[in-house]
Amino acid sequence: MRRSDLGEFEEVVLLAVAVLSPRAYSVVIAEELERETGQTVSTGAVHAALQRLEQKGYLRSELGEATPERGGRRKRLFTVTALGGRVLSEVRSVRNRLWDRIIPQTILKWS
Amino acid sequence: MNPLPTPQPPNWPDKLLNWLVAPHLREEVLGDIHERYALRVQRLGERATRRTYWREVLAYVRPRFIKRQPNVSAYRAYPKPTNTDMLRNHFKIAFRTLSRHKLYTGLNVAGLTFGVTCFLLIGLYLFDELTFDQQHSRTNRIYRAIQHKKTPTEDLTMAASSYKVAEESKKQIAEIENSARINRVGRANLSNPDNKNTFQETIAFGSSGLLEMFDFEALDGDSKSGLNEPNTIVIVEELAQRLFNTTQVVGKTVIVEFMPDKPLKITAVLKSHPRNSSFTFNSIISEATIVNSDDFAQWIANWDDQNFLTFFLLKQQANPEVAAQKINNLLNINLKREAGHSVRYSLQPLADMHLYSENIEDGARNGNVEAMSQGVLLYIKIFAVVALFVLLIACINYMNLATARASNRSKEIGVRKASGAFQSHLIHQFLTESLVVTAISFLLAVVLVNLLLPAFNEFTDKELSLGIFSDYRIWLYTFVALIITALLSGSYPAFLLSRFSPLLLLKNLKLQNKGDLSLRKGLVVFQFTISVVMMIATIVLFQQVRFANNKDLGFNKELLVVIDINSGKIRSGAETIKTEFSRIPTVKNVSATSRVPGEWKTISTVKIRPEGNTDEHKIAYLIGADENFARTFEVQLLNGRNFSGMSDSTSVIVNETAAKLLGIREASAQQVEIPARGMGGSYSPLNEANQPFNARVVGIVKDFHFQSLREKIAPLVLAYQQNPVFPIDYYTARIEGRDIPATLAKMNDVLTSIDPTHQLEYHFLDEQLARFYAEDQRRETLLIWVALATIFIACLGLFGLATYAAEQRIKEIGVRKVLGASVLNLTALLSKDFLKLVLIANGIAFPLAWWATHQWLQEFAYHIDVEWWMFTVAGILSILIALATVSYQAIKAALVNPVKSLRSE
Repeated sequence: MRRSDLGEFEEVVLLAVAVLSPRAYSVVIAEELERETGQTVSTGAVHAALQRLEQKGYLRSELGEATPERGGRRKRLFTVTALGGRVLSEVRSVRNRLWDRIIPQTILKWS
Repeated sequence: MNPLPTPQPPNWPDKLLNWLVAPHLREEVLGDIHERYALRVQRLGERATRRTYWREVLAYVRPRFIKRQPNVSAYRAYPKPTNTDMLRNHFKIAFRTLSRHKLYTGLNVAGLTFGVTCFLLIGLYLFDELTFDQQHSRTNRIYRAIQHKKTPTEDLTMAASSYKVAEESKKQIAEIENSARINRVGRANLSNPDNKNTFQETIAFGSSGLLEMFDFEALDGDSKSGLNEPNTIVIVEELAQRLFNTTQVVGKTVIVEFMPDKPLKITAVLKSHPRNSSFTFNSIISEATIVNSDDFAQWIANWDDQNFLTFFLLKQQANPEVAAQKINNLLNINLKREAGHSVRYSLQPLADMHLYSENIEDGARNGNVEAMSQGVLLYIKIFAVVALFVLLIACINYMNLATARASNRSKEIGVRKASGAFQSHLIHQFLTESLVVTAISFLLAVVLVNLLLPAFNEFTDKELSLGIFSDYRIWLYTFVALIITALLSGSYPAFLLSRFSPLLLLKNLKLQNKGDLSLRKGLVVFQFTISVVMMIATIVLFQQVRFANNKDLGFNKELLVVIDINSGKIRSGAETIKTEFSRIPTVKNVSATSRVPGEWKTISTVKIRPEGNTDEHKIAYLIGADENFARTFEVQLLNGRNFSGMSDSTSVIVNETAAKLLGIREASAQQVEIPARGMGGSYSPLNEANQPFNARVVGIVKDFHFQSLREKIAPLVLAYQQNPVFPIDYYTARIEGRDIPATLAKMNDVLTSIDPTHQLEYHFLDEQLARFYAEDQRRETLLIWVALATIFIACLGLFGLATYAAEQRIKEIGVRKVLGASVLNLTALLSKDFLKLVLIANGIAFPLAWWATHQWLQEFAYHIDVEWWMFTVAGILSILIALATVSYQAIKAALVNPVKSLRSE
């Protein structure tokens, strides 16, 4: 298991890319995360995470089209690689297994 | 589509990120923040977005985005060239060219470095001179009162005023905010009552305004209120150190010799005066201390005297001319004048005090105080011009070498042009090159200046420095000079070389430009003209200083010790002291006088006329002397007789000039009357009864130079030592050259036995006389060095040109040699061109130099004539130097085996 390779923020970003694919780039990801978490997320942070993930081989990127809001600049679109997908599902199954072993009363106490 | 225009985010983040973020990420990053901005504006409105925008931007300030991509070729793929690329290329090419032609680079850098070093040294000197007295925060509102006094016999301009003018102006004139007075009374002993440390100091009294108006920094105590109370004194740290061995002395007391019953409390210790301050006082006693004395009571009531050096602080935006006019009005109301007399005041800005006081007498000085130091504007101008010329010569060197070598670079220029370079690109390139050379030279020069500054400071008597703590203006000027030098030296080659058509350049591979050649010649002529002028000026200056030092002064100045009389006991014990002195075996003669020839303090003047004559009184200098005067100073008595002793107290001896003035041919006890004496301009009767001093002329002495050689010999009256005009002030002894310290020690013993508290203060007269010309000596030294530097720089340039010419004509020389030309022939051929230029330069330089040195010599009443041999020497010297420079290259070229130069074509 390569859990240590994937930070919490990275994991969320990676998931977001998977969700928004094939139109995933830093601005929409940041917006999406802001909406989901209710906290401010800067594109810079997202961008940095995306770069790290790309370095690790979990993401692939290409330059997309330009829009007027961007001042005619192109955007970088990200897609999840097979490796990235595998890592995501691995992380998920670890979580699931652990969740499954929690006694239902404990969960009741939290809610 | 959105009908509204896309909201524009602020500009600064773009700039910041453009500069910060790695080039390959810029596009996406900037796009992202702009898009985010647009989205946020839609959601939150423009103001809220702007407020939080910086957080968004700062998120990109992290190494991940800043770090440049290491792989250069990858980001070349982005069509975003940075605008430093071309510049970097220029620098690279410049360094390559410079390191390929090491000789030329060396010559250029050396020439420029020398030029810039001279320029910076002189510049520092001038900067210091021009910023005199500007350390006070209100400098531009402070003015010095100048009194213009007219009497039937003379016109006087003095930096002085009366008490009334200083005080009443402050009270009654709206423009004047404050006034300050200094009254310097003379020298006296100042002592620390605790440890008996005693020093002879110039005693000055100052009004409370002095400290309020000027910003003297205090080390201890309050720098503003120190002179408000009576019996207080403000001293400068150096004196505090001497008296108390510490500077924390506020509250302690000192005693002045002539006021033993009034201990003075120290209220403040001031920092030493900066070198560029006209103020040099070591201590100031509050004026309130003596305000009740008899003398002072007289001064207070008086509108018409010159006892105080007065400064006025004007209100903001007040007009000094209006203020001066009001002072004059005030004076007109209050002062009754004699017929033919007039007094008028003007105000001189404080900043002008150092350089623009040439015709202003330091009138407030009593005869016993040295004048404030002054600069001479003429020399400031001369030095400024010289500094610029040296720099210009260095620039010309660069231009000359660069244009001479242009044909070597024609291929490069041609190729550049053929592959699309604009003229502007080439101009940039050449200017970059000259900027690199100039910058290197400036750096070297700054290092060199710092190495030379200790010696330079010692001989200019200044504290100049060029470091990070120097005034920012110095660095600013230096930077401006650097840019101008670079542009100036680079401009000609840059604009010339970039103009040629590429076709011509590549076809001929050679530049034939007639105008170019003649300009180069012109520049060489210009360089040598300046060098020759400087050489001649140096010779003349040198001769004049030598002339002044060796001129027969009419008395023998060697081995004369002058001892100041600093106490009453030593003055009244004159006869005993003279006898005791002459008992010392190494002392030949002793004389007591009021002043000495070559005097450094003011010599008093008197009004004089033959008795019975009703003409206007004549003015003559007066020195009190004794019967030994003529023998001690070796002054020649022309006719009549010497003083013979006490019975001669109403006899006088006059010099030739005075005799002529009084119409006396042969001394035969002619009666003269001396009704008034003056010191620095204003005359007062000799005594209260206004009884003139009636004397008879018993002898005439040959004229001797009792003042500096800048002055013509003036009429001089020698009165006997017990004269009613001026008491004796010095003992002068002619001593033998051996064991001078022992002689001085014995003399000191004699004086100590008369007055145990006295302090020996002595001068050697020849050294004192040399001080008159010390400034000339300084200028001479400076000029010699600058002249050497100019010649050196000019020769560097000539050397470069000669090298180049020899290189260019190597084939011609080879052919000539094959056809039988001798080495001498060839050397002459190559040297001829340059010698012609130097000769022309000499022709231009001679009249220029003659005119300039002639003007300068007029400053001296006694001066050498400009002689032809000075020109000859300078001319031959310049030719020899040029020949030596050129012939080295010429001979080298002539000695080359023609096979070598003709083998390959």
